[in-house]
Amino acid sequence: MTTGTQALTDTQTQALLLKLTVLADDEIVVAHRNGEWTGHAPILEEDIALANIAQDELGHAGLYLTLAQNLGGSDPDQVAFWRGPDDYLNTRLVELPKGDWAFTMIRQFLYDTYEALWLEAATRSTYAPLAEIAAKAAREEKFHLQHTALWAERLALGTPESERRTQAALTELWPHAAQLFQPTHGEAELTAAGILPDLNAVHVRWTDLVTRHLTEKCGLTLPATPDAQPGRDTHTEHLAPLLEEMQSVAREYPTAEVW
Amino acid sequence: MTQPQSHSQPADTQWPRWEVFKQDAQGRPHQAVGSVHAGDPQHALLTARNVFVRRPAAVSLWCVLESDILTATPEELTTNPALLGTPGETGTYHVGVKRTNKRSMTFVDLSGTVQATGSGDALRQAQIMHPEVLAWMVFPETVVVRTDEDPGTVESWFAPAKDKTYKQQQHYGVIGRHVGELKRAGLMPGRAPSEDSA
Repeated sequence: MTTGTQALTDTQTQALLLKLTVLADDEIVVAHRNGEWTGHAPILEEDIALANIAQDELGHAGLYLTLAQNLGGSDPDQVAFWRGPDDYLNTRLVELPKGDWAFTMIRQFLYDTYEALWLEAATRSTYAPLAEIAAKAAREEKFHLQHTALWAERLALGTPESERRTQAALTELWPHAAQLFQPTHGEAELTAAGILPDLNAVHVRWTDLVTRHLTEKCGLTLPATPDAQPGRDTHTEHLAPLLEEMQSVAREYPTAEVW
Repeated sequence: MTQPQSHSQPADTQWPRWEVFKQDAQGRPHQAVGSVHAGDPQHALLTARNVFVRRPAAVSLWCVLESDILTATPEELTTNPALLGTPGETGTYHVGVKRTNKRSMTFVDLSGTVQATGSGDALRQAQIMHPEVLAWMVFPETVVVRTDEDPGTVESWFAPAKDKTYKQQQHYGVIGRHVGELKRAGLMPGRAPSEDSA
């Protein structure tokens, strides 16, 4: 980790702003989907656990958006609550409806693994503010990953019914996960400068980790990975209603001064 | 090692209950803070972390299956002295004591270990060592499931909670103006008459 703050060029600043927004968008949307389990999770303890995880993910979004704001971006609340589905840049993986518990846990497992590996790599960023927030978020993510990896295993090796649901979730989610590894505009230059982690290297580690856990430990079958995925600006019909609900309070009280 | 149930009970479809013991800082006793339902030891620990180490500081968590714990109050021992004959393996037993009801969360503090020939024997020793308490709790050392002490676990399980400020509810902002501010400005409606007389 570096101690000094590297000066960014204008091009780098714009590229980093975009990447931070992309990272935050995934966190915000997955947090909302997990939050939908509040009061509905299979047992009280998991209700609490998933709400905690959702709060942590929102906290990470806050870190990214505050960093973006310091680089000249908009106010974090403005970014989260006043952009519509056309402007959100989250993956489709995180916006799909919450489904059953197996769907939620497999999605979170795929996402947590990606996030944990990306954050771990980002702690070595030459841009100190990013390295600092990555170090902070990475330790939480490690725990999230333990939680969801355990659930993936217990569900896959549970009853025939839980195994069927877990496999169905993986089959549906797997193609969408590839979208997490699409580079954003200008990301390559930031990676070359050591500011952002090498997304391809993270992808290789991710594939190795999730494949070993899901196939060897959980006995699940991985579907084929699609050759191509739509960009992050292409959404399913599920994002608009999600944002509508998530943003309803902010939009109803646009002049609210205290949150 | 609780009493065998002689009367019939409806089938319990819940996962077994685990008592959770949290250690706030090195050198402090582990305290019983509550319970979780979980399917296996690792699940119990993960769940305990989520439920009990969200904000407050902690350095170690233990989980013990509820059925491995023997508890008794002085009154229970008077009416049922047979509790002192509860069997169990010979070995080290943890002794917990509940000293006060003053707090809303009345913790059982683990006060140390004894060598005993079974749960009942451990309870008998607990009673001698701590005569003036509200309740005793004993369980064998062998049944404790505990968090790892490696830096990775400490860093991801316990460090994040430590840095988060524990806020009372009234510290959180609200949409618009805070209710206290509205009250002071005389903008809050008064209580309904029925509530006033209640």
